[in-house]
Amino acid sequence: MLRAAALSLVAVLVAFPLAVLPSPPVSWLAGAALAVAGAGVVARLVPLVTAGGSLALIAYALALVIARPEAGPVAATAFGATLVLLLALVHFAGRVRGAAVGPSVIASQVRQWLAIVAAGFVAAGALTAGGAVLGPALGGTPLPVVVVAAGLGALIAVAGIVVLVSGRKNPPAPTGR
Amino acid sequence: MSWRPTTLHVSFLTLAGWALFLGVLTGRADLVVVAVPLIAALVAGRWAAAPPALQIHHEVSADRLFETDRVTVTVTLRADRPAPLVELLEPLPPRVRLERGCHHAFFTLRAGEEVRWEFVLRCEGRQRLRLGGPHVRQWGPLGLAAAETRYRAPQTVAVYPHLTPLRHPPRPVRTQTFAGNHVSPAQGEGIEPGDVRPFAPGDHVRRVNWRATLRLNTLHVTQHHRERNADVVLLLDTLSEVGPAGATVVDVAVRGAVTLAAAYLARKDRVGLIEYGGQLRWVKPGSGRAQFQRLLDTLLDASVVFTYVTRDVDLIPPRILPPQALVVALSPLLDPRFVRAAGDLAARGFDLVVIAVSPVAPARAAVPRGPVADLAARLWALERRAQLDEYRRRGLTVVDWDGVGPLDAVLATLRRPHRRRVLA
Repeated sequence: MLRAAALSLVAVLVAFPLAVLPSPPVSWLAGAALAVAGAGVVARLVPLVTAGGSLALIAYALALVIARPEAGPVAATAFGATLVLLLALVHFAGRVRGAAVGPSVIASQVRQWLAIVAAGFVAAGALTAGGAVLGPALGGTPLPVVVVAAGLGALIAVAGIVVLVSGRKNPPAPTGR
Repeated sequence: MSWRPTTLHVSFLTLAGWALFLGVLTGRADLVVVAVPLIAALVAGRWAAAPPALQIHHEVSADRLFETDRVTVTVTLRADRPAPLVELLEPLPPRVRLERGCHHAFFTLRAGEEVRWEFVLRCEGRQRLRLGGPHVRQWGPLGLAAAETRYRAPQTVAVYPHLTPLRHPPRPVRTQTFAGNHVSPAQGEGIEPGDVRPFAPGDHVRRVNWRATLRLNTLHVTQHHRERNADVVLLLDTLSEVGPAGATVVDVAVRGAVTLAAAYLARKDRVGLIEYGGQLRWVKPGSGRAQFQRLLDTLLDASVVFTYVTRDVDLIPPRILPPQALVVALSPLLDPRFVRAAGDLAARGFDLVVIAVSPVAPARAAVPRGPVADLAARLWALERRAQLDEYRRRGLTVVDWDGVGPLDAVLATLRRPHRRRVLA
């Protein structure tokens, strides 16, 4: 059940670059992404699914670069949300393998996943809106400055996430009655 | 207990990094937007509340049981605050099989909610089963981080050897002074008729043997044999061991010893135990349920302990090995030290019965099947049969038991000498 859902998400994931540009180089990359991510889903291996997701992302970037369509924030957010759901689902399927899982657990997890995906959509919308407001103001900036600023911003974003997530406090240990 | 990022965390970081890198490289804002849900998930994982404190109660249904019996493990889990995902795993000890339920489970708890988790284990072999309590792992949102600990509630379940009914235990030649179920050579009060003798003043009228009286024309009475108990000492060989874990010759011998102990104690005999191995341990002969429990506890820990020191049976005090006792030795007869000790006991006049537990079947179970192994097993069985015949020629009473069939069937064929001499 979980694996079937994950496989359908893999299909959706590789459909994004093909929808932008169904040309041979993109198709090959999308096919490779489908094979690798599909194998990861079947084996319930998160690193393999990550590799497949990375290939799909490269295929999506390639399709965008070649086709040069108008910026589509909704499709991009949906692509990111699919990646989140796929990884969460495969990871969960790997954890619960051979274990007793109640229906309340599945319901709780689904609620959690949907809440986080919704938060992702809201954040992407806010970012897009912010970009739309700031875009005209920065219209005359030279390209090298924009590229350096974007690279620095990306680096700071990743470093900030690493610092935030690794700085957790220890939770209390369970106690007996 | 500490938070640790999971593989999923690394995956999210990798994909977000890829998306941002490709976005900068290609100059496409779409790819930066792809990273946003991934970053939002990572931030949501960071901002999640600290995991709640869990109250765990772990209990087992029995602390003493026999092989193949079942024990129910119950874990009660309670959280004061909501716990989105709690994983519990109770590691299964060796020689234990999961009979019902699952020893690995996931729960979602609301504030103040209590869940009860049960599973049934079947104990396959004699052991002190140690259930240390479940491993507890709490998962953060999306499984991006996990905090784990071990709830320690050490509980020991004594799994005693399987008990089979025994109708024909070896009959002791000599009896003791207390009332029991064995016909004593001594005359007195009893129900087993003995000799007929002339009437003497003081004899009870109901003892008169009217048939002999009519034939001999003088009053004759029937004498009876007393029913007395006996001292039985079980001599367990733990010098050598053959076979896979849980089905070694020592395990088979222990099973036989428990069966014999139960049978003799049911006949009101006093039963003692000597573990003859690297450790020389013993239990003084006694009777009753408490003695049976003592024997079970001692036999539970019987195992092979390697030592270079050879201990003689002379070390065993007479109160542990009474001279009138029936000694039942259970051994694979693989170690010459045990064979020598058994020969010593027989030479000193002890009433000795050796139950030779065959090591061939356990050894066959421990090695892969094949024509060479089959041939070796057959040769070994032949050699062993010749060896047992040699012991019989030397005067030892030896019974061959393969450990697979019932011990009762083997002992039923045992012929014991009758010693009913009339005592004044």
